[in-house]
Amino acid sequence: MHYVIIGNGVAGINAAHTLKNRDNNAEITIVSYESDNHFSRTALMYVFCGQLSDRCIEPYERDHYEKMGFKRIRDKVIRLDSSGKILYMESGQNISYDRLLIASGSLSVMHDWPGINYDGVGNFVTWQDLEWLREKAKSAKKAVVVGGGLIGIETVEILLHAGLEVSFLIREDYYWPIALNKKEGDLITEHLTDYGVEIRLKTEFGEVLGENGKVVGIKTGEGEKIDCDLVVFCIGVRPQTDWLKESGLELDERGGIIVNEHLETNLPDIWAAGDCTSVVWFNGVRRPEQLWYTGRDQGKIAGWNIYGDKKNYKRGTFYNSAKFFDIEYTTVGLVNFNFEGEQEILLREKDKFKTVRLVYLPDKTVIGCNMLGRRWNHEILISWIEARKKLDWVVDHLKEALFDEEFMPQFKIITEA
Amino acid sequence: MQAGLLNTFHKNSRTRGYTGWILSAILFLFYILFYFTAIPDGWAHFFGLEGKWNLYGTLYTLAILTGGIYFLTRHGNSRYQKIRTISLIFFQIVFAYSIPLVMEIFETKGFVFSIFWPLKIDYFYPQNILDYPILLIVYVFISALIAVPLMTLFFGKRWYCSWVCGCGGLAETAGEPFRHLSDKRVKAWKFEQFSIHSILVLALITTAVVIINWMLHYTDISGNWVTDHGTFDVIVTKIQGTYQFLVVAMLSGVLGVGLYPLMGSRVWCRFFCPLAAILGLFQKFGRFRITVKNDMCISCGNCSSYCEMGIDVRSYAQTNQSFKRAACVGCGMCSHVCPRGVLKLENKWDFRMGPDMKQRQVFDL
Repeated sequence: MHYVIIGNGVAGINAAHTLKNRDNNAEITIVSYESDNHFSRTALMYVFCGQLSDRCIEPYERDHYEKMGFKRIRDKVIRLDSSGKILYMESGQNISYDRLLIASGSLSVMHDWPGINYDGVGNFVTWQDLEWLREKAKSAKKAVVVGGGLIGIETVEILLHAGLEVSFLIREDYYWPIALNKKEGDLITEHLTDYGVEIRLKTEFGEVLGENGKVVGIKTGEGEKIDCDLVVFCIGVRPQTDWLKESGLELDERGGIIVNEHLETNLPDIWAAGDCTSVVWFNGVRRPEQLWYTGRDQGKIAGWNIYGDKKNYKRGTFYNSAKFFDIEYTTVGLVNFNFEGEQEILLREKDKFKTVRLVYLPDKTVIGCNMLGRRWNHEILISWIEARKKLDWVVDHLKEALFDEEFMPQFKIITEA
Repeated sequence: MQAGLLNTFHKNSRTRGYTGWILSAILFLFYILFYFTAIPDGWAHFFGLEGKWNLYGTLYTLAILTGGIYFLTRHGNSRYQKIRTISLIFFQIVFAYSIPLVMEIFETKGFVFSIFWPLKIDYFYPQNILDYPILLIVYVFISALIAVPLMTLFFGKRWYCSWVCGCGGLAETAGEPFRHLSDKRVKAWKFEQFSIHSILVLALITTAVVIINWMLHYTDISGNWVTDHGTFDVIVTKIQGTYQFLVVAMLSGVLGVGLYPLMGSRVWCRFFCPLAAILGLFQKFGRFRITVKNDMCISCGNCSSYCEMGIDVRSYAQTNQSFKRAACVGCGMCSHVCPRGVLKLENKWDFRMGPDMKQRQVFDL
C-alpha cells in the first residue's frame, strides 16, 4: 500500500509516525515544497533572532526519515486526479497513490490593497518568508506590521530585536479581541509600548506607497502616511487549497477541506488534516482550526484512519498558549464566546501583568480561564471546567494549577480589577 | 524571546567560528602551561602570590564572579537562576577560595569543604588525608559516602552540580556563552554513558589500590615507611600518576575547559566526572525529575538547544514524557527558555516509574 502525505508540517509528520507505528511495512511518501526536513513553524521567530539555528528547530535528527523509511519528494503538487489516483507536480513529475493525506497547511491572507506588490512587502509564516525577512531586515530601518494577532505580535518582537523601528497597526480598539478582553489587551499594548513599539489602535490599512518598485511608506485607511521600508502583513492565514479547486474535493467558504469525524473527505481514499481542514467545532460551526496543537492531533488521528482504523477526531476542551514578548499566556475553555448571561472577573496580582480572568455562567459554573504572566497547568484547569466547578471553588484552588518555575514569587491576588 | 540569548547563533565566537577556535587554542595553551610547566609560577610571584596554583585559584574565582554577573544580567529575570548563580559564586568565593587561604595563613594545610571524593580523589588517599585533623577526616568520609548520596536522593544532582561545585560553577558562569554547543545526538549520549562510567570505574580502582598499597606499608625498626611488595608499590604509583595525568590534568583541566568554545561548557561534567557519575546513579532513584505538561509543546527546540548536558529535552517534551536523566544537572535552563512553560523541575517522589521514566520514545500516539 502506497501512502502519500502532502505536507511536511506537524500534521503530516505526526500522521506519518502514527501510520508507521500501525503498519511497519507501509510505503510512505511525504511531499513538501517548503523544506526537506520537518521543522517547528512556531519557532521561526527564534531563528530570525539568532536565539536558535536553522537546525535547532528541526525536532528530529537528520537521518530520521531514512530510519523511519519515509520517502521524501521536494516538489509542489499542482493538481490532484482522484479518479486516476495521481498527483501532478510542478516539476512535471507525477506520482500515484493508494491512499492520500492532504496536510498542505495555510497561506498568509493578503487583500488586494494597492501597492502590495512593491519590494519590501511580505508575510512571516513560511520558511521562505523567514529567508525573505532575514534579507530585508539587514537594510531596513523602519517597519510597519499590520494585524493584531499572534503572528503580528511575534513579528513586531523580532523586528524590534533586530534593531528596527516598528509601528504596529491594529484594526480593533485593543490588541487581539478574539482572545483577550479590553483590560488584558491594554496590558499587552502597555508592555509593548515600554519596549518602544509604536502601536496604532483602531487603524485600518489603506495602501502601500512605493517609489521605483520599493516600499517607502504606507497610508492608513484614515489617510495618514507612515514612512517605512518594510511592511509585514499578519492578518491571518487561509487553507492552502487553491490547487484543489477543480479536484472535486468539497471545500468550505474559507477554502478548508470538508471532512467527517474520521477526517475523511468526500472523495475515496483521501483524508485531510491540519490547517487546510475544515472540521465541525463544538458549537456546530464548520471551519478550519489553525493551531499547532490541533494540527498535531489531527495528524495523529488521520494516521490511524488512513491505515483503516476508525478513530474519531474530537477536539476536547479548548486550550492554547502564547507569549507576548515577556508575558506568558494560557487560555482554557470558552473565553470570549459571549454566552447568554455569562459574566467574568479579572483577578490581578501586585505585578499588574499577572492576571487571571475567569468566565462563568449565571449559576457560577466556570467555563473559561485566561491567564497572563504566569505558567499554568492547563490540564488541571481543563479538569475543573469539565467537572463544572463553581467560581468560588476555582478561585480558592487556583494555586494548585500553577506550573511556575521554582522560587517564583507566591501567587497572591490583590484586587479584582 | 529570551533577551539574554538573542543573536547567539549569529555570533562567530559562539558558533564554532574562527574566533571560537582561537579562544579554544588560548585556553588549551593556558592549561598546558599551568599543569606541565613552571612558567606560571613566575607570573604568580609577580602578583605577590606564593605559587602558580594560588594564581590559578584567583583567576578561577574571578572568572566565576565576572561570569556570574554576566549570567545574572542575562537570566536574572528568573528567580531560580538568580538564587542558583548566587549560590555558585558564594561557594566558590567562600568555600573553594577563602577558607583554604585562611587555613594556610594559620599554617594548616588548606582544605576545600565544597568538593568531595571521587572528584577530589586525594581525599581518599590515606597518605594525604591522615595529615588532617580527625574532624576533617570524619567530614571527608561522611560527606562523600552518606551526605552526597542522601542529598542527591532528595534534591537530585543539581544541589551539587549547579549550586555548589566549582567545575559546574565555571561552566554556568564563564561558560554561559557556550552552553548551546553541547552535542545533542543520541550518539553523544551513548558515548557519554560509556565514558563517564569508565572513568568512575577507573577512579574506584585507583582509590582501592592506593588504599591497599598503603595498608601493605609499615614503619620498620629504623623508622622508615616501607613495604614488602615492591612491584605492587611501583604499579600503584604508576596507576596513581596516570589517573592524575589523564583524569585530573587532561580531562578536567585541559580538555574540560579548553573545549568550552567548541563543545560547550560541560564536557568534563558530562563525559568524565566520576562524582557526576555517582550522583547520576542516585538521581535516577531519587525525587528529582523534570515534569512535562502534556500536549503543550510546540517543538521549538529552545530547551534542547540550551541544555548544556546535551539532553534532547524536546524529544521528551513533545511526546509528553516526564523524565529523569542521569546527566541532568538541574540548571533549569530548559524550563527558563521554554516559551510555553511546558517544563518544570521538581523534587517529587514518583514510585510509578512508568515507561516514561525508563526509556525515551521517538513519538507519541
